[in-house]
Amino acid sequence: MTDTCFRMKGTTLTSIVLEVIGFEPDKFESQLADKVASAPQFFTRSSLILHLATGLSATEFELLVALCRKFNLQPMAVRGETEGLKNTINDLGLADVSQSKFTESTLKSPSSSETEEAVAAQKTPVSKPPSAAQLKPAKVVSRPVRSGQQVYAEGSDLVITAAVSEGAEVLADGNIHIYGTLRGRALAGVKGNAQARVFCQSLDAELVSIAGQFIMHDKVKAACWKQPAQIYLEEDTLRIEPIA
Amino acid sequence: MAKIIVVTSGKGGVGKTTSSAAISTGLALSGHKTVVIDFDVGLRNLDLIMGCERRVVYDFVNVINKEASLTQALIKDKRTKNLFILPASQTRDKDALTIDGVQAVLDELKKEFEFIICDSPAGIEQGAQMALYFADEAIVVTNPEVSSVRDSDRILGILQSKSMRAEQGKSVKEHLLLTRYNPTRVESAEMLSVADVEEILAIPLLGVIPESESVLKASNQGQPVILDEEANAGQAYADAVKRLLGETVEHRFLEAEKKGFFQRLLGGK
Ligand SMILES: Nc1ncnc2c1ncn2[C@@H]1O[C@H](COP(=O)(O)OP(=O)(O)O)[C@@H](O)[C@H]1O
Ligand SMILES: [Mg+2]
Repeated sequence: MTDTCFRMKGTTLTSIVLEVIGFEPDKFESQLADKVASAPQFFTRSSLILHLATGLSATEFELLVALCRKFNLQPMAVRGETEGLKNTINDLGLADVSQSKFTESTLKSPSSSETEEAVAAQKTPVSKPPSAAQLKPAKVVSRPVRSGQQVYAEGSDLVITAAVSEGAEVLADGNIHIYGTLRGRALAGVKGNAQARVFCQSLDAELVSIAGQFIMHDKVKAACWKQPAQIYLEEDTLRIEPIA
Repeated sequence: MAKIIVVTSGKGGVGKTTSSAAISTGLALSGHKTVVIDFDVGLRNLDLIMGCERRVVYDFVNVINKEASLTQALIKDKRTKNLFILPASQTRDKDALTIDGVQAVLDELKKEFEFIICDSPAGIEQGAQMALYFADEAIVVTNPEVSSVRDSDRILGILQSKSMRAEQGKSVKEHLLLTRYNPTRVESAEMLSVADVEEILAIPLLGVIPESESVLKASNQGQPVILDEEANAGQAYADAVKRLLGETVEHRFLEAEKKGFFQRLLGGK
Protein backbone atom coordinates (compact mmCIF):
# COMPACT_ATOMS: atom_id res chain seq x y z
CA MET A 1 0.00 0.00 0.00
CA THR A 2 1.61 3.21 -1.12
CA ASP A 3 -1.64 5.16 -1.16
CA THR A 4 -1.03 7.08 2.01
CA CYS A 5 -3.48 9.77 2.94
CA PHE A 6 -1.02 11.95 4.71
CA ARG A 7 2.59 12.43 5.52
CA MET A 8 4.04 13.98 8.62
CA LYS A 9 6.90 16.40 8.45
CA GLY A 10 8.74 18.60 10.84
CA THR A 11 8.48 22.29 10.24
CA THR A 12 9.51 25.56 11.76
CA LEU A 13 7.20 28.45 12.16
CA THR A 14 8.00 31.95 13.24
CA SER A 15 5.30 33.68 15.16
CA ILE A 16 4.76 36.50 17.56
CA VAL A 17 5.08 35.86 21.25
CA LEU A 18 2.76 37.86 23.44
CA GLU A 19 4.28 37.97 26.87
CA VAL A 20 1.66 38.52 29.54
CA ILE A 21 3.34 40.32 32.38
CA GLY A 22 0.29 41.35 34.34
CA PHE A 23 -3.33 40.81 33.48
CA GLU A 24 -5.88 43.48 34.23
CA PRO A 25 -8.58 42.94 31.61
CA ASP A 26 -9.46 46.60 30.95
CA LYS A 27 -5.89 47.78 30.80
CA PHE A 28 -4.87 44.79 28.74
CA GLU A 29 -7.66 45.41 26.25
CA SER A 30 -6.89 49.08 25.74
CA GLN A 31 -3.16 48.48 25.40
CA LEU A 32 -3.76 45.67 22.96
CA ALA A 33 -6.13 47.86 20.98
CA ASP A 34 -3.42 50.52 20.68
CA LYS A 35 -0.79 48.03 19.63
CA VAL A 36 -2.99 46.46 16.99
CA ALA A 37 -4.14 49.83 15.70
CA SER A 38 -0.52 50.85 15.18
CA ALA A 39 -0.04 48.17 12.53
CA PRO A 40 -3.31 46.36 11.85
CA GLN A 41 -2.17 44.36 8.85
CA PHE A 42 0.84 43.14 10.63
CA PHE A 43 -1.04 41.71 13.57
CA THR A 44 -4.05 40.19 11.86
CA ARG A 45 -1.92 37.92 9.74
CA SER A 46 0.20 36.53 12.50
CA SER A 47 -0.15 33.51 14.68
CA LEU A 48 0.46 34.09 18.32
CA ILE A 49 2.09 32.27 21.18
CA LEU A 50 0.94 33.37 24.62
CA HIS A 51 3.74 33.43 27.10
CA LEU A 52 2.35 33.55 30.60
CA ALA A 53 4.98 35.25 32.72
CA THR A 54 2.47 35.35 35.53
CA GLY A 55 0.01 32.72 36.76
CA LEU A 56 -3.60 33.21 35.68
CA SER A 57 -6.86 31.66 36.81
CA ALA A 58 -8.85 29.68 34.28
CA THR A 59 -11.38 32.49 33.92
CA GLU A 60 -8.67 35.07 33.42
CA PHE A 61 -7.01 32.91 30.83
CA GLU A 62 -10.26 32.43 28.92
CA LEU A 63 -10.76 36.18 28.93
CA LEU A 64 -7.22 36.74 27.70
CA VAL A 65 -7.75 34.42 24.75
CA ALA A 66 -11.12 35.98 23.97
CA LEU A 67 -9.58 39.46 23.93
CA CYS A 68 -6.81 38.36 21.58
CA ARG A 69 -9.35 36.84 19.23
CA LYS A 70 -11.47 39.95 19.42
CA PHE A 71 -8.58 41.85 17.84
CA ASN A 72 -8.13 39.18 15.18
CA LEU A 73 -4.98 37.79 16.69
CA GLN A 74 -4.70 34.04 16.42
CA PRO A 75 -3.44 32.42 19.62
CA MET A 76 -2.33 28.90 18.83
CA ALA A 77 -0.17 27.89 21.75
CA VAL A 78 0.66 28.74 25.33
CA ARG A 79 3.86 28.52 27.29
CA GLY A 80 5.14 29.73 30.65
CA GLU A 81 3.03 29.45 33.80
CA THR A 82 0.48 26.97 32.52
CA GLU A 83 0.10 25.08 35.81
CA GLY A 84 -3.55 24.37 36.54
CA LEU A 85 -4.68 25.56 33.11
CA LYS A 86 -4.26 22.25 31.23
CA ASN A 87 -7.99 21.64 30.79
CA THR A 88 -8.80 25.20 29.83
CA ILE A 89 -5.98 25.23 27.29
CA ASN A 90 -7.30 22.02 25.82
CA ASP A 91 -10.89 23.23 25.74
CA LEU A 92 -9.83 26.36 23.88
CA GLY A 93 -8.10 24.25 21.24
CA LEU A 94 -4.65 25.53 22.08
CA ALA A 95 -1.41 23.67 22.53
CA ASP A 96 0.68 23.81 25.64
CA VAL A 97 4.23 24.26 24.44
CA SER A 98 5.82 25.03 27.79
CA GLN A 99 8.19 22.14 27.36
CA SER A 100 9.24 23.00 23.82
CA LYS A 101 12.40 24.83 23.13
CA PHE A 102 12.24 27.88 21.05
CA THR A 103 15.46 28.54 19.28
CA GLU A 104 15.66 27.38 15.71
CA SER A 105 18.33 24.79 16.31
CA THR A 106 16.58 23.14 19.22
CA LEU A 107 13.43 22.54 17.21
CA LYS A 108 15.04 19.41 15.88
CA SER A 109 15.84 18.05 19.30
CA PRO A 110 13.28 15.64 20.69
CA SER A 111 11.00 17.34 23.10
CA SER A 112 9.85 15.65 26.25
CA SER A 113 6.19 16.18 25.50
CA GLU A 114 4.74 13.51 23.30
CA THR A 115 3.26 15.81 20.70
CA GLU A 116 2.84 14.54 17.19
CA GLU A 117 5.12 17.18 15.92
CA ALA A 118 7.92 16.09 18.17
CA VAL A 119 7.47 12.50 17.09
CA ALA A 120 7.46 13.52 13.49
CA ALA A 121 10.56 15.58 13.99
CA GLN A 122 12.35 12.59 15.37
CA LYS A 123 11.39 10.40 12.49
CA THR A 124 12.06 12.87 9.72
CA PRO A 125 15.64 13.06 8.64
CA VAL A 126 17.15 16.38 9.59
CA SER A 127 16.34 18.61 6.68
CA LYS A 128 19.08 20.47 4.92
CA PRO A 129 18.99 24.25 5.06
CA PRO A 130 17.15 25.54 2.00
CA SER A 131 19.46 26.17 -0.92
CA ALA A 132 19.15 29.38 -2.91
CA ALA A 133 17.14 27.61 -5.57
CA GLN A 134 14.46 26.74 -3.05
CA LEU A 135 13.89 30.32 -1.90
CA LYS A 136 10.66 31.88 -2.92
CA PRO A 137 11.52 34.63 -5.39
CA ALA A 138 11.12 38.21 -4.23
CA LYS A 139 7.96 40.01 -5.17
CA VAL A 140 8.87 42.88 -7.49
CA VAL A 141 6.67 45.95 -7.86
CA SER A 142 7.66 48.52 -10.45
CA ARG A 143 4.89 51.08 -10.01
CA PRO A 144 4.57 53.55 -7.17
CA VAL A 145 2.60 52.19 -4.24
CA ARG A 146 0.03 54.94 -3.76
CA SER A 147 -1.80 56.21 -0.72
CA GLY A 148 -4.48 53.72 0.32
CA GLN A 149 -2.76 50.79 -1.35
CA GLN A 150 -1.12 47.84 0.31
CA VAL A 151 1.39 45.32 -0.99
CA TYR A 152 2.32 42.16 0.89
CA ALA A 153 5.09 39.77 -0.12
CA GLU A 154 4.14 36.54 1.59
CA GLY A 155 7.03 34.23 2.30
CA SER A 156 9.54 36.35 0.41
CA ASP A 157 11.36 39.64 0.05
CA LEU A 158 9.68 42.65 -1.46
CA VAL A 159 11.42 44.84 -4.03
CA ILE A 160 9.85 48.12 -5.09
CA THR A 161 11.50 50.11 -7.84
CA ALA A 162 9.40 53.22 -7.22
CA ALA A 163 8.20 55.32 -4.32
CA VAL A 164 5.91 54.29 -1.49
CA SER A 165 3.49 57.13 -0.84
CA GLU A 166 2.36 58.52 2.45
CA GLY A 167 -0.70 56.49 3.42
CA ALA A 168 0.53 53.37 1.62
CA GLU A 169 1.64 50.19 3.40
CA VAL A 170 4.18 47.61 2.22
CA LEU A 171 4.74 44.35 4.09
CA ALA A 172 6.98 41.34 3.65
CA ASP A 173 7.85 38.19 5.51
CA GLY A 174 11.42 38.88 4.38
CA ASN A 175 13.34 42.08 3.59
CA ILE A 176 11.93 45.14 1.90
CA HIS A 177 13.98 47.05 -0.66
CA ILE A 178 12.64 50.35 -1.94
CA TYR A 179 14.46 52.03 -4.80
CA GLY A 180 12.60 55.27 -4.30
CA THR A 181 11.37 57.38 -1.42
CA LEU A 182 9.66 55.61 1.46
CA ARG A 183 6.98 58.01 2.69
CA GLY A 184 4.49 55.41 3.89
CA ARG A 185 4.72 52.39 6.16
CA ALA A 186 7.13 49.51 5.69
CA LEU A 187 6.86 46.34 7.78
CA ALA A 188 9.51 43.68 7.24
CA GLY A 189 9.66 40.27 8.86
CA VAL A 190 5.96 40.45 9.69
CA LYS A 191 5.83 36.81 10.75
CA GLY A 192 8.58 37.39 13.24
CA ASN A 193 11.81 37.19 11.25
CA ALA A 194 14.08 39.41 13.32
CA GLN A 195 16.80 39.23 10.65
CA ALA A 196 14.65 41.07 8.14
CA ARG A 197 15.62 44.58 7.12
CA VAL A 198 14.17 47.56 5.34
CA PHE A 199 16.33 49.35 2.78
CA CYS A 200 15.30 52.51 1.01
CA GLN A 201 16.79 55.13 -1.24
CA SER A 202 15.28 57.99 0.71
CA LEU A 203 13.86 57.65 4.19
CA ASP A 204 10.78 59.74 4.94
CA ALA A 205 8.65 57.00 6.49
CA GLU A 206 5.50 57.19 8.58
CA LEU A 207 6.39 53.92 10.24
CA VAL A 208 9.02 51.22 9.94
CA SER A 209 8.68 47.84 11.61
CA ILE A 210 10.88 44.78 11.87
CA ALA A 211 9.39 41.62 13.35
CA GLY A 212 6.80 43.60 15.24
CA GLN A 213 9.12 46.24 16.71
CA PHE A 214 8.36 49.55 15.18
CA ILE A 215 9.28 53.22 15.13
CA MET A 216 7.13 56.10 14.04
CA HIS A 217 7.72 59.16 11.94
CA ASP A 218 9.24 61.36 14.66
CA LYS A 219 11.95 58.84 15.50
CA VAL A 220 12.62 58.12 11.85
CA LYS A 221 13.05 61.82 11.30
CA ALA A 222 15.91 61.98 13.77
CA ALA A 223 18.21 59.84 11.64
CA CYS A 224 19.05 59.62 7.94
CA TRP A 225 16.18 61.91 7.09
CA LYS A 226 15.58 61.77 3.33
CA GLN A 227 18.84 59.82 2.99
CA PRO A 228 19.52 56.31 1.74
CA ALA A 229 19.13 54.13 4.81
CA GLN A 230 18.62 50.68 6.21
CA ILE A 231 16.68 49.71 9.29
CA TYR A 232 17.35 46.53 11.20
CA LEU A 233 16.87 44.96 14.58
CA GLU A 234 19.73 44.71 17.02
CA GLU A 235 18.84 43.10 20.33
CA ASP A 236 15.25 44.28 20.28
CA THR A 237 16.20 47.81 19.27
CA LEU A 238 15.58 49.21 15.82
CA ARG A 239 18.65 50.77 14.29
CA ILE A 240 18.63 53.24 11.44
CA GLU A 241 21.86 53.43 9.53
CA PRO A 242 22.91 55.34 6.43
CA ILE A 243 23.90 53.37 3.37
CA ALA A 244 26.56 55.05 1.33
CA MET B 1 -9.69 55.29 -32.38
CA ALA B 2 -11.65 57.30 -29.87
CA LYS B 3 -9.79 58.19 -26.71
CA ILE B 4 -11.55 58.32 -23.36
CA ILE B 5 -9.92 60.79 -20.99
CA VAL B 6 -11.10 61.23 -17.41
CA VAL B 7 -10.50 64.50 -15.58
CA THR B 8 -10.21 63.51 -11.95
CA SER B 9 -8.68 64.58 -8.64
CA GLY B 10 -10.10 63.01 -5.53
CA LYS B 11 -10.50 66.38 -3.89
CA GLY B 12 -13.35 68.73 -4.80
CA GLY B 13 -13.08 72.33 -5.93
CA VAL B 14 -9.64 71.96 -7.47
CA GLY B 15 -10.67 72.81 -11.03
CA LYS B 16 -11.84 69.59 -12.68
CA THR B 17 -14.90 71.09 -14.32
CA THR B 18 -13.03 74.24 -15.32
CA SER B 19 -10.34 72.02 -16.86
CA SER B 20 -12.80 69.64 -18.56
CA ALA B 21 -14.51 72.58 -20.22
CA ALA B 22 -11.25 74.23 -21.29
CA ILE B 23 -9.57 71.10 -22.57
CA SER B 24 -12.55 69.76 -24.49
CA THR B 25 -12.98 73.19 -26.08
CA GLY B 26 -9.28 73.27 -26.95
CA LEU B 27 -9.39 69.83 -28.55
CA ALA B 28 -12.43 70.82 -30.61
CA LEU B 29 -10.74 74.05 -31.66
CA SER B 30 -7.82 71.97 -32.93
CA GLY B 31 -10.26 70.18 -35.21
CA HIS B 32 -10.94 67.04 -33.16
CA LYS B 33 -14.54 66.00 -32.73
CA THR B 34 -14.99 66.02 -28.96
CA VAL B 35 -17.70 65.29 -26.43
CA VAL B 36 -17.50 66.24 -22.77
CA ILE B 37 -19.61 64.26 -20.28
CA ASP B 38 -20.65 65.48 -16.84
CA PHE B 39 -20.35 62.53 -14.43
CA ASP B 40 -21.15 64.70 -11.44
CA VAL B 41 -24.74 63.52 -11.20
CA GLY B 42 -26.68 65.60 -8.72
CA LEU B 43 -24.49 68.68 -8.97
CA ARG B 44 -24.52 69.51 -12.65
CA ASN B 45 -21.88 72.14 -13.10
CA LEU B 46 -20.43 71.56 -16.50
CA ASP B 47 -23.35 72.99 -18.45
CA LEU B 48 -23.04 76.23 -16.47
CA ILE B 49 -19.34 76.57 -17.23
CA MET B 50 -20.04 75.74 -20.88
CA GLY B 51 -22.90 78.24 -20.92
CA CYS B 52 -25.53 75.81 -22.16
CA GLU B 53 -27.60 75.27 -19.01
CA ARG B 54 -30.75 76.62 -20.60
CA ARG B 55 -30.52 74.18 -23.45
CA VAL B 56 -30.50 71.05 -21.29
CA VAL B 57 -33.56 68.91 -21.97
CA TYR B 58 -32.37 65.35 -21.55
CA ASP B 59 -29.34 64.20 -19.67
CA PHE B 60 -26.85 61.34 -19.22
CA VAL B 61 -29.17 59.40 -16.89
CA ASN B 62 -32.10 59.70 -19.32
CA VAL B 63 -29.91 58.12 -21.99
CA ILE B 64 -28.79 55.31 -19.69
CA ASN B 65 -32.41 54.62 -18.74
CA LYS B 66 -33.36 54.73 -22.43
CA GLU B 67 -35.77 57.59 -21.78
CA ALA B 68 -34.01 59.58 -24.49
CA SER B 69 -31.65 58.83 -27.33
CA LEU B 70 -28.09 60.04 -27.32
CA THR B 71 -28.85 62.40 -30.19
CA GLN B 72 -31.63 63.97 -28.16
CA ALA B 73 -29.44 64.46 -25.11
CA LEU B 74 -26.23 65.72 -26.74
CA ILE B 75 -25.97 69.50 -26.82
CA LYS B 76 -24.03 71.01 -29.67
CA ASP B 77 -21.81 73.83 -28.47
CA LYS B 78 -22.84 77.18 -29.89
CA ARG B 79 -19.41 78.75 -30.10
CA THR B 80 -17.11 75.91 -30.94
CA LYS B 81 -17.43 73.58 -33.89
CA ASN B 82 -16.83 69.84 -33.26
CA LEU B 83 -17.86 70.16 -29.60
CA PHE B 84 -20.75 68.43 -27.80
CA ILE B 85 -21.85 68.28 -24.19
CA LEU B 86 -23.63 65.44 -22.43
CA PRO B 87 -25.02 67.05 -19.27
CA ALA B 88 -25.65 65.42 -15.92
CA SER B 89 -28.96 65.14 -14.19
CA GLN B 90 -29.70 67.37 -11.26
CA THR B 91 -32.51 65.30 -9.88
CA ARG B 92 -30.87 61.90 -9.58
CA ASP B 93 -28.27 60.54 -7.28
CA LYS B 94 -24.99 58.91 -8.16
CA ASP B 95 -26.46 55.39 -8.14
CA ALA B 96 -28.33 56.28 -11.31
CA LEU B 97 -25.15 55.46 -13.25
CA THR B 98 -24.51 51.77 -13.86
CA ILE B 99 -21.39 50.23 -15.37
CA ASP B 100 -23.36 48.60 -18.17
CA GLY B 101 -25.33 51.75 -18.85
CA VAL B 102 -22.21 53.92 -18.98
CA GLN B 103 -20.44 51.42 -21.20
CA ALA B 104 -23.32 51.35 -23.69
CA VAL B 105 -23.30 55.14 -23.95
CA LEU B 106 -19.51 55.30 -24.31
CA ASP B 107 -19.55 52.59 -26.99
CA GLU B 108 -22.01 54.61 -29.00
CA LEU B 109 -20.03 57.82 -28.54
CA LYS B 110 -16.82 56.10 -29.64
CA LYS B 111 -18.26 55.64 -33.10
CA GLU B 112 -18.74 59.39 -33.50
CA PHE B 113 -16.04 61.13 -31.54
CA GLU B 114 -12.25 61.32 -31.39
CA PHE B 115 -12.11 62.47 -27.78
CA ILE B 116 -14.49 61.65 -24.95
CA ILE B 117 -13.74 63.79 -21.89
CA CYS B 118 -15.25 62.62 -18.60
CA ASP B 119 -15.63 65.29 -15.91
CA SER B 120 -15.45 63.33 -12.65
CA PRO B 121 -17.21 64.15 -9.39
CA ALA B 122 -15.06 64.66 -6.31
CA GLY B 123 -14.15 61.82 -3.98
CA ILE B 124 -12.74 58.38 -4.50
CA GLU B 125 -15.98 56.47 -4.11
CA GLN B 126 -18.43 55.04 -6.58
CA GLY B 127 -19.14 58.20 -8.60
CA ALA B 128 -15.47 58.95 -9.20
CA GLN B 129 -14.73 55.29 -9.90
CA MET B 130 -17.52 55.19 -12.48
CA ALA B 131 -16.05 58.22 -14.26
CA LEU B 132 -12.59 56.69 -14.48
CA TYR B 133 -13.48 53.04 -15.07
CA PHE B 134 -13.40 53.14 -18.88
CA ALA B 135 -10.63 55.72 -19.24
CA ASP B 136 -7.64 55.25 -21.54
CA GLU B 137 -5.95 58.29 -20.08
CA ALA B 138 -6.38 60.41 -16.99
CA ILE B 139 -5.78 64.07 -16.34
CA VAL B 140 -5.18 64.35 -12.61
CA VAL B 141 -6.06 67.86 -11.50
CA THR B 142 -4.09 68.91 -8.45
CA ASN B 143 -3.72 72.13 -6.47
CA PRO B 144 -0.30 72.88 -5.00
CA GLU B 145 -1.24 71.93 -1.45
CA VAL B 146 -0.66 68.84 0.64
CA SER B 147 -4.26 67.58 0.93
CA SER B 148 -4.89 67.89 -2.78
CA VAL B 149 -1.65 66.07 -3.62
CA ARG B 150 -2.54 63.27 -1.22
CA ASP B 151 -5.98 62.85 -2.81
CA SER B 152 -4.43 62.81 -6.27
CA ASP B 153 -2.09 60.09 -5.09
CA ARG B 154 -5.06 58.02 -3.91
CA ILE B 155 -6.93 58.46 -7.15
CA LEU B 156 -3.79 57.40 -9.07
CA GLY B 157 -3.76 54.22 -7.00
CA ILE B 158 -7.41 53.56 -7.84
CA LEU B 159 -6.80 54.32 -11.49
CA GLN B 160 -4.08 51.69 -11.70
CA SER B 161 -5.99 49.07 -9.75
CA LYS B 162 -9.72 49.51 -10.30
CA SER B 163 -10.09 50.81 -13.85
CA MET B 164 -10.99 48.48 -16.68
CA ARG B 165 -7.53 48.79 -18.19
CA ALA B 166 -5.94 47.92 -14.86
CA GLU B 167 -8.18 44.86 -14.59
CA GLN B 168 -6.97 43.84 -18.03
CA GLY B 169 -3.36 44.20 -16.89
CA LYS B 170 -2.87 47.39 -18.90
CA SER B 171 -2.16 50.83 -17.54
CA VAL B 172 -3.96 54.13 -17.83
CA LYS B 173 -1.81 56.96 -19.19
CA GLU B 174 -1.37 59.60 -16.50
CA HIS B 175 -1.11 63.38 -16.85
CA LEU B 176 -0.58 65.88 -14.07
CA LEU B 177 -2.41 69.18 -14.39
CA LEU B 178 -1.43 71.57 -11.65
CA THR B 179 -4.10 74.26 -11.32
CA ARG B 180 -4.62 77.41 -9.26
CA TYR B 181 -0.87 77.82 -9.19
CA ASN B 182 0.21 80.99 -7.47
CA PRO B 183 3.97 81.57 -7.92
CA THR B 184 4.05 84.35 -5.32
CA ARG B 185 2.65 82.04 -2.67
CA VAL B 186 5.03 79.30 -3.78
CA GLU B 187 7.95 81.66 -3.30
CA SER B 188 6.79 82.49 0.19
CA ALA B 189 6.48 78.74 0.85
CA GLU B 190 2.73 78.90 1.46
CA MET B 191 2.21 76.49 -1.42
CA LEU B 192 4.04 73.54 -2.85
CA SER B 193 6.14 74.16 -5.94
CA VAL B 194 5.79 72.36 -9.28
CA ALA B 195 8.93 70.40 -8.40
CA ASP B 196 7.51 69.35 -5.01
CA VAL B 197 4.31 68.02 -6.54
CA GLU B 198 6.14 66.31 -9.39
CA GLU B 199 8.45 64.62 -6.94
CA ILE B 200 5.62 63.20 -4.84
CA LEU B 201 3.28 62.12 -7.63
CA ALA B 202 5.96 61.14 -10.15
CA ILE B 203 3.78 61.42 -13.27
CA PRO B 204 4.36 63.53 -16.41
CA LEU B 205 3.36 67.18 -16.19
CA LEU B 206 0.71 68.19 -18.70
CA GLY B 207 0.45 71.79 -17.61
CA VAL B 208 0.47 74.40 -14.89
CA ILE B 209 -2.55 76.69 -14.81
CA PRO B 210 -2.02 79.89 -12.85
CA GLU B 211 -4.52 81.09 -10.29
CA SER B 212 -6.37 83.78 -12.19
CA GLU B 213 -9.41 85.98 -11.87
CA SER B 214 -10.13 85.34 -15.51
CA VAL B 215 -11.36 81.86 -14.52
CA LEU B 216 -14.14 83.22 -12.34
CA LYS B 217 -15.00 85.82 -14.96
CA ALA B 218 -15.17 83.17 -17.65
CA SER B 219 -17.37 80.87 -15.60
CA ASN B 220 -19.74 83.71 -14.77
CA GLN B 221 -20.05 84.32 -18.48
CA GLY B 222 -20.54 80.63 -19.20
CA GLN B 223 -17.52 80.58 -21.44
CA PRO B 224 -14.59 78.17 -21.07
CA VAL B 225 -11.52 80.18 -20.04
CA ILE B 226 -9.46 78.80 -22.92
CA LEU B 227 -11.42 81.13 -25.20
CA ASP B 228 -9.96 84.11 -23.31
CA GLU B 229 -6.75 84.45 -25.28
CA GLU B 230 -5.62 87.45 -23.23
CA ALA B 231 -5.69 85.57 -19.92
CA ASN B 232 -2.66 83.62 -18.78
CA ALA B 233 -4.94 80.81 -17.54
CA GLY B 234 -6.48 80.58 -21.03
CA GLN B 235 -3.03 80.46 -22.63
CA ALA B 236 -1.84 77.85 -20.16
CA TYR B 237 -4.81 75.62 -21.03
CA ALA B 238 -4.09 76.09 -24.74
CA ASP B 239 -0.50 74.92 -24.11
CA ALA B 240 -1.76 71.92 -22.16
CA VAL B 241 -4.04 70.90 -25.03
CA LYS B 242 -1.09 71.06 -27.44
CA ARG B 243 0.91 68.81 -25.14
CA LEU B 244 -2.02 66.41 -24.90
CA LEU B 245 -1.92 66.23 -28.70
CA GLY B 246 1.78 65.39 -28.60
CA GLU B 247 3.44 68.75 -29.14
CA THR B 248 6.37 69.85 -26.99
CA VAL B 249 5.60 73.23 -25.49
CA GLU B 250 7.60 74.93 -22.81
CA HIS B 251 5.87 75.58 -19.49
CA ARG B 252 4.96 79.20 -18.78
CA PHE B 253 3.68 81.24 -15.83
CA LEU B 254 5.80 79.36 -13.31
CA GLU B 255 7.39 82.45 -11.83
CA ALA B 256 5.91 85.44 -10.07
CA GLU B 257 5.60 88.46 -12.30
CA LYS B 258 8.43 90.87 -11.67
CA LYS B 259 7.35 94.28 -10.55
CA GLY B 260 7.85 97.03 -13.08
CA PHE B 261 10.65 99.57 -12.72
CA PHE B 262 8.39 102.39 -11.56
CA GLN B 263 6.47 100.16 -9.19
CA ARG B 264 9.73 99.17 -7.56
CA LEU B 265 10.90 102.77 -7.46
CA LEU B 266 7.68 103.86 -5.80
CA GLY B 267 7.61 100.84 -3.53
CA GLY B 268 4.14 99.97 -4.79
CA LYS B 269 2.66 96.57 -4.25
N1 LIG C 1 -6.94 78.60 -12.30
C1 LIG C 1 -7.90 79.08 -11.48
N2 LIG C 1 -7.83 80.32 -10.97
C2 LIG C 1 -8.78 80.78 -10.14
N3 LIG C 1 -9.87 80.10 -9.79
C3 LIG C 1 -10.03 78.85 -10.27
C4 LIG C 1 -9.04 78.26 -11.15
N4 LIG C 1 -9.47 77.01 -11.46
C5 LIG C 1 -10.66 76.84 -10.83
N5 LIG C 1 -11.00 77.94 -10.12
C6 LIG C 1 -12.20 78.12 -9.29
O1 LIG C 1 -12.29 77.07 -8.34
C7 LIG C 1 -13.61 76.70 -8.12
C8 LIG C 1 -13.77 75.21 -8.35
O2 LIG C 1 -13.54 74.90 -9.70
P1 LIG C 1 -14.23 73.67 -10.42
O3 LIG C 1 -13.69 73.59 -11.79
O4 LIG C 1 -15.71 73.72 -10.28
O5 LIG C 1 -13.64 72.49 -9.53
P2 LIG C 1 -14.11 70.96 -9.40
O6 LIG C 1 -14.83 70.59 -10.64
O7 LIG C 1 -12.81 70.22 -9.24
O8 LIG C 1 -14.94 70.86 -8.17
C9 LIG C 1 -14.46 77.52 -9.05
O9 LIG C 1 -15.00 78.61 -8.35
C10 LIG C 1 -13.47 77.99 -10.10
O10 LIG C 1 -13.86 79.23 -10.64
MG1 LIG D 1 -16.81 69.72 -10.87
